[in-house]
Amino acid sequence: MPAVQVENLVKTYGDGTQAVKGISFNVDDGEFFGFLGPNGAGKSTTIKILTTLLRKTSGSANVAGLDIEHDARKVRKLIGVQMQDTVIDEDLTGRENLMLQGHLQQMRSEELKERVNELLKVVDLGDAADKRSAYYSGGMKKRLDLASTLVHRPRILFLDEPTTGLDPQSRAQVWSYLKGLNQTGMTIFITTQYLEEVDRLCRRLAILDHGEIVAQGSPSELKSEIGADRITLGFENGNPGTGSLKDKAKQVLGNLGGISEIVDSDEGIVIYAKNGGFLVPDIVRAFDNAEIKLSSIGVSSPTLDDVFLKHTGRRIRPEEIDKSRATGVFGRRRR
Amino acid sequence: MTLFSDTSHLFVRSLKKLFRNPILLFFSLFQPIIFLLLFTQLFSKFADLPGFLQLTGATSYLAFAASGIVLQNGFSSAFQSGTAMVDDLKSGFLNKMLATPVSRPAILLGRIFSDVFRVIAQSSIILGLAFVLGASADTGIPGYLLMLVIIAFFGIAWSGISLALGLKTKNSEAVFGIAAFLTFPLLFMSTALVPPSFLPGWMGQVSQFNPISITVDGLRTIMLPGFNIGKVLTAFGVIGGIGIVTMGATLYLFRKVVS
Repeated sequence: MPAVQVENLVKTYGDGTQAVKGISFNVDDGEFFGFLGPNGAGKSTTIKILTTLLRKTSGSANVAGLDIEHDARKVRKLIGVQMQDTVIDEDLTGRENLMLQGHLQQMRSEELKERVNELLKVVDLGDAADKRSAYYSGGMKKRLDLASTLVHRPRILFLDEPTTGLDPQSRAQVWSYLKGLNQTGMTIFITTQYLEEVDRLCRRLAILDHGEIVAQGSPSELKSEIGADRITLGFENGNPGTGSLKDKAKQVLGNLGGISEIVDSDEGIVIYAKNGGFLVPDIVRAFDNAEIKLSSIGVSSPTLDDVFLKHTGRRIRPEEIDKSRATGVFGRRRR
Repeated sequence: MTLFSDTSHLFVRSLKKLFRNPILLFFSLFQPIIFLLLFTQLFSKFADLPGFLQLTGATSYLAFAASGIVLQNGFSSAFQSGTAMVDDLKSGFLNKMLATPVSRPAILLGRIFSDVFRVIAQSSIILGLAFVLGASADTGIPGYLLMLVIIAFFGIAWSGISLALGLKTKNSEAVFGIAAFLTFPLLFMSTALVPPSFLPGWMGQVSQFNPISITVDGLRTIMLPGFNIGKVLTAFGVIGGIGIVTMGATLYLFRKVVS
């Protein structure tokens, strides 16, 4: 039985915005599933619907074999949900946060106490357990938030950008917890901007763009679909954002054989071509003849980044989000 | 069954939050205590005005104003209820709760019960202080209990205004602003601090229909000599009417947020 089963799911908001336009996908039991897409693609809307926080407009969705609207209450007992922002009660201690979460999940006190002690150790908050969580660092808060979604031993864990805003060390820690949880058989449904980790950990993924699924499969399937190496061209004046240079460059490339795709990118132009390495001399010569100066040229085998770029025309750049929202392990508390 | 245990867990959570922010508690008690200590002194000569003692039955201005000050405290703390709801809405904690099987009404009830607890505790402190200063209820301990019951229901009814506003606007500044906007006109155009016959003509007319006046009359008849059950019942009636409207609006808006 699939852990998540979505068919023709549609969400239209009151103002007429169609956030999700009839998507279908399955997540198998025990799978580590990545749900990717540019900002505004409809990822959070989908997660909110699957976690019973938002009503769908039409279509069907089952979680753990249960209808998310008809059996909402049962679904809530089986899922853990971590939202994009860290959500803990900062007036309560770490332990109290976890206890409250367990109580809301209707757990028995004896069992709950043991479970909370165990979890506090797992997320490395044993020493800070009885301090008010307002005084925790950003990384500690995130770990507490993660622990609070696990108190009732959910079968399926939904995570919306769980590592956004964390410093690299805390981020790696969260990923390693998630990997461990998945190894115990927990199904993980995650949206994230970190494609390297997706490549490493997710068994399958779906890419969402403008409310529609534009690609799905395993990372290796999706990468091999590109079937070509990637050649990145940089131009002398940085990014040839001004139309004419870019257009001219594209024209030059269009006259070359062996290129399967030309895509605009922030760094310049990305070309996909089979056996790309052999094409490099041709490219250099062609640009030389056209008197366009190249500042860099790079050849690499395709990554998930390329898959994402190919299907959405955009590149995920987690670094930018980090700069504006980062709170380090020793980050000051925000109030 | 889960409604009961969920409500009690959320009630405890709200109380912990309250006691861990003593500054908030301090400021909400600060004003009524200043009123009790200074304001009543400032206007103590009121009691010397001809007719004051006969009209009100009070022995001092303090004894007269105590009921009004208790009530004023009741509605200023009721107005904080909505801001706490907005906090949970904005921080995402409400959604976090909603993603669990917690009983939905428990989220509201836990909040309301902690407000009631708070308003009873604060009112007891104020009435206790008034007692120390020489203003005691003529009806004794049963009277004090009845006053606390009135204030508790008043607190529920009025917290419904701020809860509904909070759920509607999702903005705590708006709740605070509207609360401040309502507080003083309602208070000053009432008999909370001045007997009706001392108000200028039009104000006297308005104050008769002011729910604050009617509730204060209910308290005052318990506090001062000449207990009149009719006034207590009228107060309950008005509180009930307001409560049905405000709680109805709160429930309606809460259901919209929840679903």
